[in-house]
Amino acid sequence: MSDETKPGLEFAGHEFARASLDACVKCTICETQCPVAAVTPLFSGPKFVGPQAERYRNGDSVDHSLDYCSSCGTCTLVCPQGVQIAELNSQARAVMKADHMPLRDRLIGQTTLMGTMMTPVAPIARAALHNKPIRTIMEKVVGVHRDAPMPPPQGQTFASWWAKRPKPATAATRGTLVFFHGCAGGYFEVETSKKSVEVLEHLGYEVIVPKQGCCGLAQQSNGLFEQASASVLKLCDDLRAAGRDLTIISSSGSCTGMLKHEAHEIMGVDDERLKDVGTRIRDIMEFLLDLHEAGELPTDFATIEMTVPYHAPCQLKSQGMGMPAVEVLGLIPGLTVVESGAVCCGIAGTYGLKKEKYEIAQAVGKPLFEMVKKTNPNLALCDTETCRWQIEQSSGVKTEHPIWMVHRAYGLS
Amino acid sequence: MSRVIVIGAGLSGLVAANRLAGKGVDVTLLTKGIGGLQLGQGSIDVLGYAPDRVTNPVLTLSAIASARPAHPYAAIGAEAVHTGIEYLKALLGDLLVGDAEANYQLPTAVGAIRPTCLVQPSMVAGNVTDGARFAIVGLRRLKDFHPKLVAENLSRTPLPDGGRLDARPVMVDVPARDGEVDSSGLTYARAFDDPAFRDRFAAALKPQLNEGETVGLPAVLGLKDRGAWKDLSEKLGHPVFEIPLPPPSVPGMRLNEALTALAKAAGVRVVNGTRAVSARVEDGVVKGVTMATAGAPREFTGEAFVLATGGFESGALAMDSYGSVTETLFGLPLQGLDDGPLVHGDYWSAEQPLFSVGVRVGKDMRVLDAAGAAVHPNLFAAGGIIGGSSRWAEKSGDGIALGSAVRAADSIVEELA
Repeated sequence: MSDETKPGLEFAGHEFARASLDACVKCTICETQCPVAAVTPLFSGPKFVGPQAERYRNGDSVDHSLDYCSSCGTCTLVCPQGVQIAELNSQARAVMKADHMPLRDRLIGQTTLMGTMMTPVAPIARAALHNKPIRTIMEKVVGVHRDAPMPPPQGQTFASWWAKRPKPATAATRGTLVFFHGCAGGYFEVETSKKSVEVLEHLGYEVIVPKQGCCGLAQQSNGLFEQASASVLKLCDDLRAAGRDLTIISSSGSCTGMLKHEAHEIMGVDDERLKDVGTRIRDIMEFLLDLHEAGELPTDFATIEMTVPYHAPCQLKSQGMGMPAVEVLGLIPGLTVVESGAVCCGIAGTYGLKKEKYEIAQAVGKPLFEMVKKTNPNLALCDTETCRWQIEQSSGVKTEHPIWMVHRAYGLS
Repeated sequence: MSRVIVIGAGLSGLVAANRLAGKGVDVTLLTKGIGGLQLGQGSIDVLGYAPDRVTNPVLTLSAIASARPAHPYAAIGAEAVHTGIEYLKALLGDLLVGDAEANYQLPTAVGAIRPTCLVQPSMVAGNVTDGARFAIVGLRRLKDFHPKLVAENLSRTPLPDGGRLDARPVMVDVPARDGEVDSSGLTYARAFDDPAFRDRFAAALKPQLNEGETVGLPAVLGLKDRGAWKDLSEKLGHPVFEIPLPPPSVPGMRLNEALTALAKAAGVRVVNGTRAVSARVEDGVVKGVTMATAGAPREFTGEAFVLATGGFESGALAMDSYGSVTETLFGLPLQGLDDGPLVHGDYWSAEQPLFSVGVRVGKDMRVLDAAGAAVHPNLFAAGGIIGGSSRWAEKSGDGIALGSAVRAADSIVEELA
């Protein structure tokens, strides 16, 4: 084990972190819902590699099919006994991979780096990512599947738009919020970030956007616990710098989950800074729903006559707050939102990019892609970036964050 | 914000939520994970033993209701059970058949014969009759079903009506997925959803069957395709029936998925993921229930609350090392604690009193204290949290869940109106 991976792994290898397995009653509910085990015999299922194999792990892993777990978190979500199945599988995998972390898994965790490199050369990057020979070489050398969805490079970062845009004409009447856009929202999903702050400003909030780094989720899901722990704490410092008691709003569903619970539960990050940020952050749709329940959300929405499929991403469901987007969008007259009912889109962050897992990820997402195409061939809604790219690439249906619909219904676009 | 909050997603929670939503009430269903429905056999037990084998469940439960005032059926009553049965059958369309006045007697995966009230159509041909001839078919790669055990036990068991049947084991080997030698029942069920797999399976099995045999198979005949069993029966030219397996129970999943989808379609807001950890009560009235949501707890407020949290198995009841039992969400008063030790050491004789611990309810399913007064005017209970009976021994759990769920829902609808 190299020194750079040690601290996070000490927690991952610690018995206490994995103690929830004792609550497992072997009911198999997780097995029935695992989207990966449903489509491939290569993964023996969350209960087998998790609470069961865990009893035999003493340093070495006894079940290498563990690497086929996509860390979507569905097993933990559906477990009625409170076993943290996905968490302990992520921990065991990090320990298992520590001595032979593939270069590819180190690289694809570097989301900020990818954004910084691609934005200045967006047209070239776009062309390269659609170029078959280049993608074939990328697959052979790096191990990223040639057909896997890639982030769409943009000509302008959110930070650059934010710095240059004119200040809002109307004065803020409702107080101040901090906006967290995440790496993808900063570099690739710039429109989602813009629309999010515009909606918040329309509601009467002053929005602060501090300079911010990566939450480390992609590193965490690839087992790079130390780098991920450092990233998430650095981000907490960034967000705390904007003001100590302010609510933090995010339009990046999965990064929100990282801050709310994953960094703590999977990597054992036990730090006041994380606790502070993790309890102040709200998903933007969750925030709008809270406003509505408090009777403070204006519902002067324009009519949007449309039926649209909505897919709740795994890492949003894991936060345990239900599906706020469905409820908020339900307030828009004319709009019919059809929840996908699908377990997972398959991508699970970076899982579906990997050449050896691409086919599995596609098979996982197939029922969702079919549902999306059938419900509305022109538009789908989903709260996280990589899931949107996966749905869009595999179904051919344009996929937006639900805030786009709210933005439209308020007459802002 | 909903008018009614249902806590728990087992049979009672799902039925209560569906019934309330069906009557136009705005409902939120709170649950930690998937409920216990898919761990059962996918049939509805109303009353199986009292203590002798029961043939007419509703008739027998009326007798229990008058003889045992502390039994949940005394508060629920035969009429509510009837209503619950008819409601569930109507809700699930072609997924459940049966009659409140008659139990089926169906083979189990160890070759015993269990009494149950409502069953899936794919199980009906297994109802044991004198002179029946069964071919019990095992799948070589499915380790949870042993046709020899089932067939030999069935053959040597006198049937409830005194007759006998003849059963013989058959083994076939049709892989559910290439390269897999140990497949779960669910993996087989997904394979049986595919008509091409059913063709292959029928081709492998048909030559082994004799004229006049009824074919008993593990309950894996399709998860999504409700007609898979019928199609297989036609392909084989023999009646077939399913025998439920230990979890993952495919027939249980069918019920759970159908009831959950119906609830969502009826507008029930389902919030899954974390436990309900505390309740806020003001002037005796329940105002809200809080879930331990990631980041910050979330409170769900409502006008009425249905406690459908189950018993010890789900953590709704807990016993500490001193032997004291608590209801973990509201700290409600419990019945069944004052009759001596809750667990006695003789595990193979009389029932353990522990299994009868639970809350008391009135006829409207309000939770009551020892004096018979409502603990909170807007708190109702349904299903396994209600004390007064050993469900597993009586095979009465589903009937109690159904009857109490419709009664609780109807009381709430009446009061909100």
